[in-house]
Amino acid sequence: MNAFQSVSLGVFVALAAATISAGLRGYARKRIVVFWLLVWGGGATAIVWPRSTMLAAHALGIGRGADLLLYLSVLSTLVGFFYIYTRFRRLDRQITMLVRRLAITNAQVPDHGVTASPPLPLADSAPPSS
Amino acid sequence: MSDAPRLAPTAAPALSETVKARIFIVIAAYNEAACIAEVVRDALTAVPNVVVVDDGSADDTTNQARAGGATVLTHLVNRGQGAALQTGITYALQHGAEYVVTFDADGQHDINDLPALIAPIARGEVDICLGSRFLVAGSNVPTMRRIVLGAAVLFTRLTSQIKLTDAHNGYRALSRRAAQRIDLQLDRMAHASEIIDQVRASGLPYCEVPVRIRYTDYSMKKGQKSSAALRVAFDYLVGKVLR
Repeated sequence: MNAFQSVSLGVFVALAAATISAGLRGYARKRIVVFWLLVWGGGATAIVWPRSTMLAAHALGIGRGADLLLYLSVLSTLVGFFYIYTRFRRLDRQITMLVRRLAITNAQVPDHGVTASPPLPLADSAPPSS
Repeated sequence: MSDAPRLAPTAAPALSETVKARIFIVIAAYNEAACIAEVVRDALTAVPNVVVVDDGSADDTTNQARAGGATVLTHLVNRGQGAALQTGITYALQHGAEYVVTFDADGQHDINDLPALIAPIARGEVDICLGSRFLVAGSNVPTMRRIVLGAAVLFTRLTSQIKLTDAHNGYRALSRRAAQRIDLQLDRMAHASEIIDQVRASGLPYCEVPVRIRYTDYSMKKGQKSSAALRVAFDYLVGKVLR
């Protein structure tokens, strides 16, 4: 095993240990723990036994192991971006709802007042204020 | 695809006091301190209820709007025009609005057009009345604006299957029923298309009415740059796909 392999393997082992520990302490769900352990395990296998990526690539009809890794990394990056993007949009919407509620609660009414009618119960359009 | 019904530019009768008292004008304002007070004072000559939503302005917009006599709702952080309008609409509905009018903060709309926008709703003919600058004979829309807005009209025709003459006019009147069914989710400028989509989905009758737009140096500087149109289109399409 060369120096690069030793260092990388050490990193993967540490990551796997951290993942298991997070799972045991209830910070991550079981499905998530298993997913990441598979990722770390796959990485460690590819480092220790480089031929494995080539065999996997051939099984999938791809010429070289390095190509398989490239495709996988591009794919996972895209999936990751999409996930973050949807999360971001949801967060954005939640902030808007929060800002809206604050704005309505703290309305600054002029001296002559809003003349149409006293405030209606909030049921018909907005979530009830608490 | 159907043409939006257009109303002939007849002089609308003055609004009765009972109708006026139930109109809420909602103005979304972002860094409009220079002219918001005047716009509000102008609007208050026509109706008693003017709601300004200060969308996280860095300038004195809130105080200026209050000086003008408006009810002011303040977004603590900037959320975009669509979000600000929705805040104002929600507030208006909570305070008994029968008619909600959206109005631009930069003084480009003419308060004298208000009766024409309200009248078809007050008569019970439609629930939504959209202003169109292109129905006005001899309107002074600059050429570049004409091109970009023409593209927006085409875009709306393709994506919403509604034929309007002016897809991105901020001057609109909604009945209470229509306002209750509008729920703007797109925070930034794409709400103009979103409103039209929701109008169509609601199945409520709508029409277009000619309104004048004043293209002043100020409103051109403050307004959307023509190049922003692509981003608006992108926001809107993403919003359609990702709910």
